[in-house]
Amino acid sequence: MAQVMMKDLNKKYDEVHAVKDVNLHIRDKEFVVLVGPSGCGKSTTLRMVAGLEEITAGEITIGDRIVNDLPPKDRDIAMVFQNYALYPHMTVYDNMAFGLKMRKFPKPEIAKRVGDAAEILGIQELLKRKPRQLSGGQRQRVAVGRAIVRHPQVFLFDEPLSNLDAKLRVQMRVELKRLHDRLETTAIYVTHDQVEAMTLGDRVVVMKDGWIQQVGEPLELYGKPANRFVAGFIGSPSMNFVEVTATETNGALWADTPGLRVKVPPALAGRLGAYKGQRVTLGIRPEDLRIASGNDAADYSFDTVVEVVEPLGSEILLDLKAGPNVIVARVDPTVRAKLHDKLRLGLHPERVHFFDNKTELAI
Amino acid sequence: MSLPGSARRREIRLAYLLLSPALLLLLTVLAYPIGWELWTSLTDLSPLSDGPQAFVGFENYRRFLGDAEFWRAAAVTVVYAAVTSVAKLALGLGFALLLARPFRGRALVFLAIFLPWAYPAGVSVIGWYWTLNPPTRTAYAPFMGHLKYVVDGAFGGGAWAFVSVILFNIWRGSSFIGVLLLAGINAIPPELFECALLESKSAWRRFHLVTVPLLKPFLALGVFLSLTSAFADLANVWLLTAGRIVFPVIGTHAYWLVIKAGQYGPASALSLTLVPFLLVVLLVLFRLFDPWEENPA
Amino acid sequence: MNPKPWWAKLGHGSLMLLATVYCVFPIYFMLVQSLKTPEEDVFGNPFIVMNPTLENFEELFERKSEVRGFVGDALRRSYPFLDWLANTLFIFVGSVAATLVIGVAAAYALGRLRPPGFRWWRRAIFAAYVIPQTLLFIPLYQVVITLGLDDSLLALLLIYPTMALPFCVWMLSAYFQHLPREIEEAALIEGASRATAFFRIILPMSRPVLVAAGIFTLGTVASDFMIASVFLLTPNNQTITAGLGTFDVALDELAAVAGVNLLAIPVVTISAVFARGYVRGLTAAMVEGA
Ligand SMILES: Nc1ncnc2c1ncn2[C@@H]1O[C@H](COP(=O)(O)OP(=O)(O)OP(=O)(O)O)[C@@H](O)[C@H]1O
Ligand SMILES: [Mg+2]
Repeated sequence: MAQVMMKDLNKKYDEVHAVKDVNLHIRDKEFVVLVGPSGCGKSTTLRMVAGLEEITAGEITIGDRIVNDLPPKDRDIAMVFQNYALYPHMTVYDNMAFGLKMRKFPKPEIAKRVGDAAEILGIQELLKRKPRQLSGGQRQRVAVGRAIVRHPQVFLFDEPLSNLDAKLRVQMRVELKRLHDRLETTAIYVTHDQVEAMTLGDRVVVMKDGWIQQVGEPLELYGKPANRFVAGFIGSPSMNFVEVTATETNGALWADTPGLRVKVPPALAGRLGAYKGQRVTLGIRPEDLRIASGNDAADYSFDTVVEVVEPLGSEILLDLKAGPNVIVARVDPTVRAKLHDKLRLGLHPERVHFFDNKTELAI
Repeated sequence: MSLPGSARRREIRLAYLLLSPALLLLLTVLAYPIGWELWTSLTDLSPLSDGPQAFVGFENYRRFLGDAEFWRAAAVTVVYAAVTSVAKLALGLGFALLLARPFRGRALVFLAIFLPWAYPAGVSVIGWYWTLNPPTRTAYAPFMGHLKYVVDGAFGGGAWAFVSVILFNIWRGSSFIGVLLLAGINAIPPELFECALLESKSAWRRFHLVTVPLLKPFLALGVFLSLTSAFADLANVWLLTAGRIVFPVIGTHAYWLVIKAGQYGPASALSLTLVPFLLVVLLVLFRLFDPWEENPA
Repeated sequence: MNPKPWWAKLGHGSLMLLATVYCVFPIYFMLVQSLKTPEEDVFGNPFIVMNPTLENFEELFERKSEVRGFVGDALRRSYPFLDWLANTLFIFVGSVAATLVIGVAAAYALGRLRPPGFRWWRRAIFAAYVIPQTLLFIPLYQVVITLGLDDSLLALLLIYPTMALPFCVWMLSAYFQHLPREIEEAALIEGASRATAFFRIILPMSRPVLVAAGIFTLGTVASDFMIASVFLLTPNNQTITAGLGTFDVALDELAAVAGVNLLAIPVVTISAVFARGYVRGLTAAMVEGA
C-alpha cells in the first residue's frame, strides 16, 4: 500500500511535449482515474509511473521512494494493458505465476496465490488454457489476475476495458470497483470514457494536451467544472454552450443573445458583474433543462423549436433551436414532442455555468 | 528536439551491439568481394596473361555495346527472367489460392507443393535433367531424345537444355512463391474478404480488386527473390552440364568468360550489369512494403 | 452457402491432382531410378520399379580395403560417404544455428530497439541480394584463404548464413516490429530483466517465426551446389553435394543419384515436420501485431 506523488512531471518526445508540469498526489488506497481525449498524455503519464517511459523532468514518488531511476521491476507495481499483453505461449496459470516465479516465491505459495486470485475472478476452470483459447472478457480477467497475485503497492490500468463490448464493459467495471474495495490497493486508472471515470474513481483527473485541467471527486467535476473543457467533457450528452452578452437591465444582470435571454442567478451575478457588457459563454447541462410549466419564472425560461427527437427509452433527447442557438435538452419519456413543435424550456437557476471567453475558466 | 534520455541511449547502444555480428558477417563475406568485382571490372585482370593488371577504365563495359554475344546474352536473360517470373507468379498464385481454403487432404497437397522448394536443388536438378535428358539408353530415352531433337531443330542446338533449365527454375520457384503467397493470403484479415464477398458477386472481380492489391508486396517479394535465385540455379545447371550451355544468359556468360577464357575483367563487368536492374526491382519492393511498415496502427 | 455442384468438386479435385503430380513427379522419377538395377534401368518401364534394390545406396557405403603401409590406415572407403553425411549435417545444423542466432539478434535490434534509421539498416541488409552470385566465389576464395579457412567446412559456415541472413533479418525484424510492445513491458513490470524477458517470453512466443526462418535457411543452404564444390576440395572434407559433384560421378551413375537423395531425406523430413509452422511463421511475420 502506498501513495504516489508526481511533481512537475514532464515528458517530451522528439516533436511532442506529451505531459506538461503534472502535479498529482495520489493517496494510499485511493482509486484515481486519469481521463481525457485521445492523445492527451494519460498513457504517457501512467507509463512514467510504471517506469516504461523515461521522465524528461520532474519526480515520481511511490511510497516514500523516489523511483525516477528505478527499473519497472523494482517499483512494486502491476499493470493491466488495453490489449491484455498476456504471454501467448503460456497457460493462464503460468501467465499469472510468472511474476511470482521471477521473484522466487516458493512453489506452494505461488499455487496458493494464483488459486486465490483465480477464485476471486472466477477463472479457476481456465487455468490450463492458453490465452488464445479465451474470450475477450476472460483474457481481461486473467490480465487482472496477473496483476493482483503479487499484492503490489500500486495497480496501473491503461484502458483495460476498452476492448470489451458495451455490456461486458459495464459488468467488468463493477467487478473492478468491487475488487478495489476488497484489496484496497492504490490504483491509477486511465480511460477516455468519462462514464468509467465517474463511476470508478475516488477522484478523477481530467487532462488535455498534456495539462491537468482539474482534479476532483466525480460529483465535484460535474457540479463545479473548473473550465469550459472539463464542463464539456464530463457529462453525457455534453453541456450546451451559448455565447451571450452580460447586460444590465433595471439593476439586474442578464445573459442575452438573439433568441435567448435569461436572468443571471443571484449567486453568480456578483462574479459576473465584472463582465458587464462583455461576451461570455453560458453553459447549461441538457439534464438541467425541462419543459417550462406554470411555476417556472419567466426570467429563467426561453422559447425553442424542436429540430430532432431522440427517444432513448428512459429519457428523450431533444435537439432544439433557440433563435440561432442549438440546444440539447434531456426530458422525461412522457413528454410528447414532435418535429417543429414550439416548446418553452425552463432551467435550474442554481445550475447554470458561465465561462470566460478568453481563459475559458469558470466564472 | 530533446536529447534522447540515458535509457534510450543505452537501448541504442545495445541495438548496435546486437546488429554488429550480422553486419560483420555480411561485410566479411560480401564487402571485399563486391569491391573486388567492381575494381576488377575496371581492369584487364586475367590469370592467363603474364603482364601486370592494368587499369582500363570503362573499357570492359564499353566493349559490350558492340558485342553481339553480349546483346544475345542480354536478350536471353530478359526472356529467361520474364518467362520464369511470370510463370512462377502465375503458378504460385494458383497454388496459394488452391490451398487458401480448407478441404479434405489439404495438408498432403500442401506438402506436395512445398516439396520442390524444400528438396535440395542440387538434387532435384538432377532429377529434372534425368527426366528431360536421359543419360543412358533407358526405356524412355527415345521419346525424350525425339522431343529434344524437335526442339533443338526448331530453335537451334541447346534449346532443349535451356528449356529444361527454365522448367526446373519454374518448378522450384513456383513452389517457393506459392508458399509465400499462401502465407500472405493468411495474413490478410478475413474481414476484408468478407467485405469483398458482400461487395461483389463475381469471384474474378474480387480476386482482381481485393486479393491482388493486398498481395502485391508479397508478389513483389517473390519475384525479387526468384530473380536472384534464377541465376544461382543456372550455375547449378552449368556445373551439371559441364558447360554445354548454348543459350547463355548474362550470368552463365560471365561464368564462361572466367572459366574458359580467364577474362576476369569483362566477366566482372558483365555480371555487374545486372545490379542496376535488380536495384530497381528492390526499390519497387521497398516502396510496396513501406506503407505496410510505416502505419502499424 | 449451397453445396457445390459435382462438376465444381471434380474440377477442384483434378486441379489438386495436377498440382500434386507436377510438384512430386520429378522427385518420384528420380527415386524410382535410384532403386533400379542397371538392367531394369535400361529395359524396364521408366515410371515404376519392378525389383527395387538398394544396391546403389549400398555402393555408397561400401568399404574397399586398400592396404597402405600402416595398419591403422588400412581401411578406406571408396567414397567417404559417411564423412560427407556427417559434414553435411554439421553444415546444415551449424548454418541454421548461426543464421538464427545472428539473425534474431539483428532483427530484435532493428525491429524492437529501433536505432536511428533502422529501416535503412534493414534495407541495406536486404540489398545484399542484388550482389550477383556468379563470380563471387573468386574474391570469396581470397577472403577464405586470408582467414585460413580454405578447404575447411568453416568456410561454408561463414558463407551460407550470409545467403539466408538478409531474408531472415527482414522477416524477423518485421515480426518483432509488429509484436505488441506491451507483452515485453508486462514481463519487465512482473520482475524480469530485459534479457530474461527476451529469453523467457519473446523467444518462446516467436517459435513459429523462428521455425520459418530456420526452414528458409535450411532450404537455401541445402540447395547450394556451387559454393560447396568450389570451396571444399579434399574428399574427406566435402559435403554430399560437393563430393558427388567433384569425383568422377558422371550423371549416369546411379550411385550419385542415390547419394543425393540420401541428402534430401533429412532436409525433406525436417521441412515436412515444420511445413505448417513455416507458413504460420511467414504469416506471423506479415501480419501486423501477430
Ligand atoms: N513513443 C512516442 N514517440 C513520440 N510521440 C509519442 C510517443 N508516445 C506517445 N506520443 C505522443 O504523446 C502524446 C500523448 O500520448 P499518450 O499515449 O499519452 O496519449 P493518451 O492520452 O494515452 O491517448 P489515447 O487515449 O489515444 O491512448 C500523443 O500526442 C502521442 O502522439
Ligand atoms: Mg493511451
